[in-house]
Amino acid sequence: MKKKNIIVRCAADLFLPLACVFGCYVVFHGNTSPGGGFQGGVLIASAILLVFLGHGGSKVKGSFSERLLHSSETIAEIMYVVIALIGIFTGLNFAVNFVFAGHQFETSTLMNDAVGYHVMAGIACLLILMLSTLDPDEDAANESSEGKEADPK
Amino acid sequence: MNGFLVNFPILAIMTLFVGAFVTSLVGRRNAVARNIVVAVSVTAALGMILALVKPVMLDGQIIAYWLGGWQPVEGWAIGISLEVDALSLFFGLIVTVAVFVSGLYSFTYMNHDDSLVNYYTLFLMLSGSVLGLVLSGDLFNIFVMIEIMTFTAVALTAFRTGYDGALEGAFKYLVVGSLGSTSVLLGIAMIYSQVHTLNLAQIAALIPGQGANPVMIAAFAFLFMGFGTKAFLFPFHPLAADAHAVAPASISLMISGVLTKCGVYGIIRLVYVLYQNYSTPFVSYLVTGFGAVSMFVCVTMAFNQHNFKRLLAFHSISQVGYVITVVGLGSALGLNAGLYHAMNHTIFKGLLFLTAGAVQHQTGSLDLDGLGGLSKKMPKTTLLFLIGAASISGLPPFNGFASKWMIYQAAFLKGVYDGNFFYVIVAVVALITSVLTLASFVKVSQSVFFGQLPEQYKEVKEAPFAMRLPMWILAVLCVVTGLFPNFVQTYLLTPAVRAVTDLTGYIDAAMGAGYAANHGIASWPVTVIPVTGVWNPVSWLLLLFCVTCGVAIVALLASPSDNSKLHISSKDESDEERNDKYESFFSGEEALYSQVGGSDLFWGFKHNWRKYFSFMHDWHSGIVNDYALYGVVAIALVLLACIVIL
Repeated sequence: MKKKNIIVRCAADLFLPLACVFGCYVVFHGNTSPGGGFQGGVLIASAILLVFLGHGGSKVKGSFSERLLHSSETIAEIMYVVIALIGIFTGLNFAVNFVFAGHQFETSTLMNDAVGYHVMAGIACLLILMLSTLDPDEDAANESSEGKEADPK
Repeated sequence: MNGFLVNFPILAIMTLFVGAFVTSLVGRRNAVARNIVVAVSVTAALGMILALVKPVMLDGQIIAYWLGGWQPVEGWAIGISLEVDALSLFFGLIVTVAVFVSGLYSFTYMNHDDSLVNYYTLFLMLSGSVLGLVLSGDLFNIFVMIEIMTFTAVALTAFRTGYDGALEGAFKYLVVGSLGSTSVLLGIAMIYSQVHTLNLAQIAALIPGQGANPVMIAAFAFLFMGFGTKAFLFPFHPLAADAHAVAPASISLMISGVLTKCGVYGIIRLVYVLYQNYSTPFVSYLVTGFGAVSMFVCVTMAFNQHNFKRLLAFHSISQVGYVITVVGLGSALGLNAGLYHAMNHTIFKGLLFLTAGAVQHQTGSLDLDGLGGLSKKMPKTTLLFLIGAASISGLPPFNGFASKWMIYQAAFLKGVYDGNFFYVIVAVVALITSVLTLASFVKVSQSVFFGQLPEQYKEVKEAPFAMRLPMWILAVLCVVTGLFPNFVQTYLLTPAVRAVTDLTGYIDAAMGAGYAANHGIASWPVTVIPVTGVWNPVSWLLLLFCVTCGVAIVALLASPSDNSKLHISSKDESDEERNDKYESFFSGEEALYSQVGGSDLFWGFKHNWRKYFSFMHDWHSGIVNDYALYGVVAIALVLLACIVIL
C-alpha cells in the first residue's frame, strides 16, 4: 500500500498529541470552564480521524481495539452511576456532592471525567465502525490518485 | 417512612440502566452471566417498586426526591426531582410487572436469534427509561426519557432485520415517533418560557395564574399531541401496526403494554395535574373524541388483518382508545375506569402477544390464513389464548369485563348528569367496539387454533414451559383482577385516583407545605367512587333485557324480503375482501384442501361495509410521508382548535 502524502502525514503526527492534550484539558476543566466531558471526549476521539487521514484505514485497525473501546465505554457508564450511587450509600441523596463540598474539586469533577471517558470511547467506537465501512479498494484508489496528483515529477 | 425507602424509586431506575451496561460488558461471551444479570435487574426493579406499595398506596405518602439534594430555594424548584405519588406508582407497577414478564419470556423466546447481548441491553434501557418517565417529577426529564424510549423501541423493532418489513416498520416508527417527541419538546419549551420552571409540581401551581395565555394553550396542544403519538392515538395508529408486526413478541408486549401507557400517563398528568382543565367542555370533547375515534377505527381495521400480530396491534390501540375516552370525561369514575382498563390492557394484551409469540416460535408463521387447528398440537397455549381473548372481549369472569363495565357506566353517567348526548353516543360506540372485538377474536381463534390443521404443521410441538410460565402469570392476573374488582379498587385504584384529585398534596410534597394554598390551588372535592355497578345483579338483568330486545328488533326488522337485494357475487367485492379462499365457495372446489379460515367468518359484515373498508384500505397507504402528513395535519388542527376555542 502506498504511503500518504508527506504533508498530510506530518500534519497528522503533529496534531495528534495536541488534540489529545487539548481534549484532556477540556475534560478535566469541564466543571469550572466552558466545555466539559462531552466536548473533550469528542476532541480526544478525533485522534482516530487524524490517524486515518495520515496513515490510512489499516493503521487505524492496527492501532485501536474496538472491543477494548466498547468495554471502556460500558465501564465509564457504570463508573458514572457508581459515583452517583455513593451519595445514597453515604446516607445522602442520589448524585449528591460528597467530596469536599464547596471546594474546587467536587463530585461533579469525577462525574465529568466519567462522561469524558465514556464519550471518548463511544465516539471512537463509532468512528472506527464508520471508517471500516469505507470500501478498501476505493480507499486504495483514492490514495494512489492522490499520490499521483501530489507527485507530478 | 423508613429512611432508606425514599431511595427506592431512583434505585429501581438505576438498577435497570446499570443492568443494561453490565449486560453489554459481560454478556458478549457468556450467555449465562448475561441472563443472570437481566433476571436480577428486572426482579430487583420489580421488588423495589413492590416495596413502595405500602407507604405510597396504602398510607398515601408522596415521595419527593431531589437528586443531589438540591431542594427548592425560595419557592423555586431548581433541582431535578423524582416525585412518586400513587398515580406514578400505579403506572410504575404496570411497567415493572410487564418488564419482568417480558424479560422472563425472552430467555426462551429469543433463543433462535443471535447478537442477543444487544437485544438485552436495549431491552433494559427501554425498561429503565419507561420507569424513569412515570416516576419523574421533572418535565424535561420526561422528554429525555421519551427520547430514550423511542429510540430503543425503534432499534428493538428492527432487531430481526431479516424479517420482511422490519427496517421499514422501524423507520416509520422513527419518523412519526420523532414527530411526537418534537411536539413534546416544543410544548415544554413554551411552558418553560412562561413559568420559568420545569418541575411538575411548581408548573401545576403556577399555570392557573397564567389565565388564558395563548402560549400556554399552544403548549397544551403540543404536549397533548406529543403524548398522543406515544399512545398511538388515531392519526398515528398505522405505524404501531407496522412496528408490532415485525417486532419480537416480547417487545410487542413492551410497546403495547408499556409504551402506550406512557402516553396515557402523560395525558392524565397533563390534563388533571398540570393544566387542571379536565372540566372544560372543549378539553373533554377533544380527549374523549380522540379516544372514541381511535377505538372504533382501530377495531374495524383489526377486522381486515391477515397477520396475527398486526391484528393484535390494532386491538391494542383500540383498547388504549377506551382508556383515553374515559380519561377525557373528567370525572372521578371515568379516571378510575381508565386506570383500571389501562392495567387490564397491559395484562391481557401482554398475554395475547405472548401467545402469538409462542405460535410464531413453534410454527414460524403469523399468517392467519395459513395457520389452523393448533389447538390439537398446542392445547395449553390455546387455553391461555382463550383466557386472553375472553378478557379483551369483556366476557364476565375476566378483568376486561369489570373495567369495560365501569367504562360504559362512566360514559353514560357523564352523559346523563350533563344532559349531553355526545357522551351517550360515546358509550354506545364503546359497546359496539367491544362486540367487534369479540367478533375479531372469534376470527383469530378459528384461524389459528381451531379448524383444520394444515399438513406442514403436523409436527408442531407445545410451547416449552419456560415460555408458558410468563403467560400463566399474566393469565392468573387476568382472572384475579377480574374476580376481585373490589380488591383492586381498594388497594390500587382508589389511591391512584385520590392522588390525582389531591392536587394540594402533590404540590406541597415537592414545594413545601402551603405552597399550593399561596397560589390558590385547591384539591378536588373528594367524591365517593361508585363501583357497585360492577357486579350488580339488577344491571345484569337490565343488560339481558336490552340485549334480548335488540336481538328481537333485529330479527323482526330484517325480513326475508330484503334478501333479494343481498346480491352476492365476487365481481363487486372490493380488493380488501377478495381472497383466494372465497373462490372455493363461489366457483367450486379450486383447491383440494380448503379450510374455513377466519377471514371467511364475517364476510357478510365486510361485504356490507365494503365502502368503508376500501376507504380505509386506501388511507393506510404504508408510505411514511403520508403517515407523517396525517400526524402534522392532526397536530396543526388540534393547535388551531385549542387556540380558537380555549
